[in-house]
Amino acid sequence: MTDGRSARIWSLIAAQAARHGGRVSAADACEAAVAAVDVTGAWLIAANGEQAGHLMRVTDQASELLAELQLTLGEGPGPDAAASGGPVLASDLDEMEAVRRWPAFAPAARQAGAAAIFAFPLQLGAIRTGVMSLYRVRSGPLSAFQLGDALIFADTATLLLLDAQDQTAGGAAGSAGGPAGSAGAGPGGQPADLTRHRAEIDQATGMLTEQLGVGIAEAFIRLRAHAYAHDRRLSDLARDIVARRLRLLPDPDPREDGQA
Amino acid sequence: MDGELLSDTFVELTDTMVAGFDVIDFMHMLTNRSVQLLDVSAAGLLLADPRGDLRVVAASSEAARLLELFQLQNDEGPCLDCFRSGQPVQAADLAAVAPRWPRFAPAAGQAGFTAVQALPMRLREQVIGALNLFRASPGPFDPTNVRVGQALADVATISLLQERNMRHSDTLNEQLQTALNSRVIIEQAKGKLAERLGLDMDQAFNLLRESARTQNRRLSDLAQAFVNGTDTLASLDASRSRPRPSASRPPRLPGS
Repeated sequence: MTDGRSARIWSLIAAQAARHGGRVSAADACEAAVAAVDVTGAWLIAANGEQAGHLMRVTDQASELLAELQLTLGEGPGPDAAASGGPVLASDLDEMEAVRRWPAFAPAARQAGAAAIFAFPLQLGAIRTGVMSLYRVRSGPLSAFQLGDALIFADTATLLLLDAQDQTAGGAAGSAGGPAGSAGAGPGGQPADLTRHRAEIDQATGMLTEQLGVGIAEAFIRLRAHAYAHDRRLSDLARDIVARRLRLLPDPDPREDGQA
Repeated sequence: MDGELLSDTFVELTDTMVAGFDVIDFMHMLTNRSVQLLDVSAAGLLLADPRGDLRVVAASSEAARLLELFQLQNDEGPCLDCFRSGQPVQAADLAAVAPRWPRFAPAAGQAGFTAVQALPMRLREQVIGALNLFRASPGPFDPTNVRVGQALADVATISLLQERNMRHSDTLNEQLQTALNSRVIIEQAKGKLAERLGLDMDQAFNLLRESARTQNRRLSDLAQAFVNGTDTLASLDASRSRPRPSASRPPRLPGS
């Protein structure tokens, strides 16, 4: 069950955050992924929309070097993941295909000690918040289970980055530091029901860009903030919006517009 | 059965090695061709996500998409049984087998479907998903149609899994994840367009698809450009707000 799996991963991330005593952030997802997915190291680049991102976390020296190499050379799995909107799974950097694809980066990454790199875009549809990359000194693909875990770490990092944006804007959904006690609880105290109930959530997010006159990331942040403020499940709220039983107002403090 | 369309479809289903191949477009094609060829009312397609879920990646109609989603949400239904067993599951009269799926059967009835045939997407022991055919009238599915439906699903599966020699699992996973995210982008775009023009989700989807076809762009690319505001679909707005577009006039200006 994905719920149990998300909860397990969330508790790993929360434990990571507890170790340094801060609130849970995407950097903790990056750190915790290393042991859970059984890779050597990881780095996370946070980006807001189309702007160039900043290196938010590296877990070791090689990670830092790899991140710098991609930036300097302008090629590699990370940039490709950001551009393609899907993960880039380079399970053997010695393979001809990898060398052809990244003629400068692949040999340089081998020198830096990486035999395999797995880059995951931090995204929710058209919402882009960065890229999380994992590297391993040994070549070979991720197992299906490891890949699934890595994807859930990336999903969680995405939500945490959006939470952080919301906190910057003084919004209400940012309770990411809260306890992860309830089963399936994800960032912001929301049940991690994004995967199975998501079409309505995505449709409602799209509708809110028009209702609120905001970008897609902001629309999603506002949807979550509203659910949090009104103690509602995200999927139930989304269903009301899609059924046009509820509209949100273009107001920094969203209030219900009554029944439609 | 339209023999020419059938042979064209098999050609389309093996055409996965081309540049710009898009899994979502491929899956939509499969569901649409299933409806055209197999004497069914609707078709939906579920694929396994390494996160541990099945995901609805394509459906020929909103009703079929919602019904697939319903099964996932309630963890019950013929398509799930088919995926888990790797075997076809047929319910020729859902009302008669309601006890087997106490939540799915009434939901299917409400959506207007009375019979369902679920076909595994399977290569040897690897089951990657299920193709599901829905019909509005009860009764057994024509065995020839079922065989052809399974052949379509088999060819689609092989086409997806044969990818590029040793990297095949990497490549398929990359494409599947890209496809799942494209699916999200398309839903976001549907919501935005539905709200902007006062449409329901089916109408919004059809308009997006039409618009992609007219502009000769991939649906997921157009949806992303629309959500990001880099493509306003202005021509589409204009054509719809025109009170009575004359039948002879094309619905929108090409290439703008």
